[in-house]
Amino acid sequence: MKKIITTLFMALSCYVFSQDTVKVASQLTPEQQAEADYNSGIEQLKRKDYLTAVDFFTKSVAVKPDFDKAFYNRAVALTQLKRYTEAYQDINKVIAKSPQNADAYFTKSLIFFNDNKKDSQLVALDKCLAVNANHSEANYYKGLVLYENGEYKTAIDNYNKAIAGNANYIYAYNDRASAKRALSDLAGSIADYEKAISMDDKDAFLYNNLGSAYRENKNYAKAIESYNKALQVNEKYLIALTNRGAAKLEDNNLKGAHDDFEEALRKDPSNSSAFNGLASVYIKQKEYQKAKDMANKAIQSNAKNGPAYFNRGIARQMLREDEGSCADWKKAAELGVAAAKSFVNSDCSE
Amino acid sequence: MKKVIYILAFLGLPLSYFAQVNVEFEKKNFPDRKDQLKEAINQFKEGNAIFDEGDKRFLLAALPHYLEAQTFNPNNDLLNFRIGYCYLNSHDQGRATEYITKAYQLNPAVDKKIRFYLGNVIQLKSEWTKAITEYEAYKATVSSKDAAELKIVNRRIEECRNGIELSKTPIRVFIDNVGQDINGTFGDYSPVITADESIMMFTSRRPGGVNPALSVEDNLPHEDIWVSTKVNKKWTTARNIGLPVNLELHNSAICLSPDGNKLITYDGSKQNGDLFISELHGALWTKPETLGKAINSDGHEPSASFSYDGKVLYFVSDRKEGLGGHDIYYSVINEKGKFEKAVNIGPTLNTEYDEDGVYMMPDGKTMYFSSKGHMGIGGYDIFKTTLENGVWTKPVNVGIPINTPDDDVFYVLAANGRHAYYSSSSMKGYGGQDIFKITILGPEKQPLLNTEDQLLAMAANPISNLKTEGAIESKGPKMALLKGVITDAKTNAVLEAAIELFDNEKNILLATFKSNSSTGRYLVTLPAGRNYGIAVKKDGYLFHSENFIIDQNADYIEYNKDVALKKIEVGSVIVLRNIFFDFDKATIRPESASELDRLIKLLNENPTIKIELGSHTDSKGSDDYNMKLSDNRSRSVVDYLITKGIGADRLTAKGYGETKPIDTNDTDEGRQNNRRTEFKIMSK
Repeated sequence: MKKIITTLFMALSCYVFSQDTVKVASQLTPEQQAEADYNSGIEQLKRKDYLTAVDFFTKSVAVKPDFDKAFYNRAVALTQLKRYTEAYQDINKVIAKSPQNADAYFTKSLIFFNDNKKDSQLVALDKCLAVNANHSEANYYKGLVLYENGEYKTAIDNYNKAIAGNANYIYAYNDRASAKRALSDLAGSIADYEKAISMDDKDAFLYNNLGSAYRENKNYAKAIESYNKALQVNEKYLIALTNRGAAKLEDNNLKGAHDDFEEALRKDPSNSSAFNGLASVYIKQKEYQKAKDMANKAIQSNAKNGPAYFNRGIARQMLREDEGSCADWKKAAELGVAAAKSFVNSDCSE
Repeated sequence: MKKVIYILAFLGLPLSYFAQVNVEFEKKNFPDRKDQLKEAINQFKEGNAIFDEGDKRFLLAALPHYLEAQTFNPNNDLLNFRIGYCYLNSHDQGRATEYITKAYQLNPAVDKKIRFYLGNVIQLKSEWTKAITEYEAYKATVSSKDAAELKIVNRRIEECRNGIELSKTPIRVFIDNVGQDINGTFGDYSPVITADESIMMFTSRRPGGVNPALSVEDNLPHEDIWVSTKVNKKWTTARNIGLPVNLELHNSAICLSPDGNKLITYDGSKQNGDLFISELHGALWTKPETLGKAINSDGHEPSASFSYDGKVLYFVSDRKEGLGGHDIYYSVINEKGKFEKAVNIGPTLNTEYDEDGVYMMPDGKTMYFSSKGHMGIGGYDIFKTTLENGVWTKPVNVGIPINTPDDDVFYVLAANGRHAYYSSSSMKGYGGQDIFKITILGPEKQPLLNTEDQLLAMAANPISNLKTEGAIESKGPKMALLKGVITDAKTNAVLEAAIELFDNEKNILLATFKSNSSTGRYLVTLPAGRNYGIAVKKDGYLFHSENFIIDQNADYIEYNKDVALKKIEVGSVIVLRNIFFDFDKATIRPESASELDRLIKLLNENPTIKIELGSHTDSKGSDDYNMKLSDNRSRSVVDYLITKGIGADRLTAKGYGETKPIDTNDTDEGRQNNRRTEFKIMSK
């Protein structure tokens, strides 16, 4: 989530910079001073000194109360300072004055997102899209919100519009692929990931996502090939390594899976997914004590690793630790593993 | 002999296989042990005297004599064969292997059926292909005109082929000896349990029974019924259930009702074996009474099981009109409590071979039984069938390793469908047959991997996308178990009360149960797919009602519901859980009929009491709306009672809206509790 906020800032910055700096003469009139302060505010924004940026924008609007760009950018700075109420006030002033400013609505939607007001975010995005139905970014973000709400079909509609507005919208292709995958349209998903890769062959995550779509389609050779490419692009991208191990395991290549998980652990000795992958290998090999030991390590590395609890439960059941296995499945169920709940029902009644 | 060895060596069998030489009971073979020889010959003859009578039931009595003779001369072909044959006809078939094998080694022509019996003992070890080889070898010696014998050997070959097939998909189970608190060094078998596994009864031949004398048949203690209860998940040391259930001779446990209040016993001394029933009154079991002529015939009735509601008895009999050997029959209990004429359950379940060990699950539709027919793998195997739209499905072998080539019979399953109990002598135990607990694990559980993808490009942190397995089929039966203790609300004294189980939609009384008078405990099973009204009743008390709607696809669940009954006195309030209204209306739904009938009966039986009918809502909707709705609903109930002849002056309608919640309004369950109809006794 932290990273999401960072990327949102990037998005916000994009709109900040769209509010161009203004040229200021050497002999400053009050109005020119306001513009100079505005420019200084932008400089502070770039340096991420939001407090100082707010001060400059404030000075600017004090002299020039109709300076929309200053209000706009102050809203951005205030958002970064989590002073959302003031940020809303500023962006609302911009909107009040320019009700057809689609970008203002879009920025407002991003403030709502930071303020964790998803419903209001959607309202703002809709207003943006009412002004400009082809607002590519707004469509993309609406798709993102809908995706996170599990409304994959509607999300795809918005990703389609985002792509219609920007045929090179790589992220929109990626996200649309993920939405299609969620709807089990694996062929469509694979096509979209491949389209995104055709435009950007340097992003490991795109290859990784493609690999996982192939894996879900039980095309393990293609999955492994895609994970390999992800690792060629970025050898430190361990997600692809553990996913490759998982693909090998699902393809009953237990040794290959074991080796991948071991390699992931050499590169990151606390990789919870890799420990859990090894636990899975040992369960397949019916070496339940080893499986339990590995699941223990997975849980030590990440106490919220639901699949690790799930697997430890399987191992403990076979080790005749009935109470322990049920406790693990209950924990896994709490962490969102649906199959664990089923085991609790079927195996844990006395 | 030399020639024989050459031929067999040519067949690929090791010479060591035939290294032993047959030793006859002759003086020349024991020149220095004449006295012992004489005694051994006597033992052999005594054994033969029993053996040659040809009654398989008494073969065990020949064994001590044969074993004594065999101690003296271990290498006699016929003696080894006969010992093996005796064991093959006992509950300890596994011990036949060494003797039959040795007899064959000593003399491949010891008996014309030796290859058949060799096939038997190899089959017992689940070595299916090898057993088929022996059966085929024997079959080649059988005349094509001997259809009966060919049928027997062909059936054995079929069993082995079934074994090969079922071995491909063994079921996953843990099989555990239930331990020394139940099993002893003597035979322990035929376990029966309550639906919640809180009580186990079983048959044992251990000393300490009612009759201290040994059985004349085999010089062992008589069969008695023993009981153990589960405390803190552990079985207590078994105790003899005592008189009057255990009598002088053999008594064995056949069926325990799901609530543990009825026990069917077997007495082998009556008409070739009859069934009896005893009931638990408080802490005491009544003297077993015969199940009567509809059930007990001149033949052998070794097994029985009640339906969950106690209205049908399924039992096994070898009476003449059957389809072959022992068959499964059922008899409906009529309104007078008498058994109707028994009906053969039909050829879907009954075969030309024996069926036995019938066990009806408390879900009301699943039956387990043992059969020597169907897709068996040897001896009795356990099969499962379900009643679908009044028709029994084709029985399915419950699989290996629960079923073995030996006899697998008297299999009982707990209501949760996860635990089963049976007895076996083929596994390591404490002596003789032991009782084992089977934990059914279901299909192999597949591990779950972390799949991490950056599904959303804006999220550089990976979003965990759990790859979940497809939904697994719940193995438990589709039913619920309701149990608890019934007490007096004021004194907390335990009460014996009647528990009536209604089908609200059909407005029919399904069954009546009773709580135990000394413990107050009750247990009711609720098969899935019905809207159940439950009324707990006792004279002098207000009835208590509960409602359970068990969805057709509901997973197995246990409800613990202790009930405190209130005396009929001013101020007492009860909730009428089975009065239903149309959504957002005051129209009483038809499913309320049985509850209203109870209420009318109560008012008629207590003609002086005056009551207030109060209706309550949850907090959804406005206060005014809820108040009006509850007023109308209480009025509807009062109006209905008036139409049924209850004086209007005895009834007050009162709507409380949402003003008196008895639970939270923040959850569905809480709101459901708050939506209720109550009645309160205002004067008496």
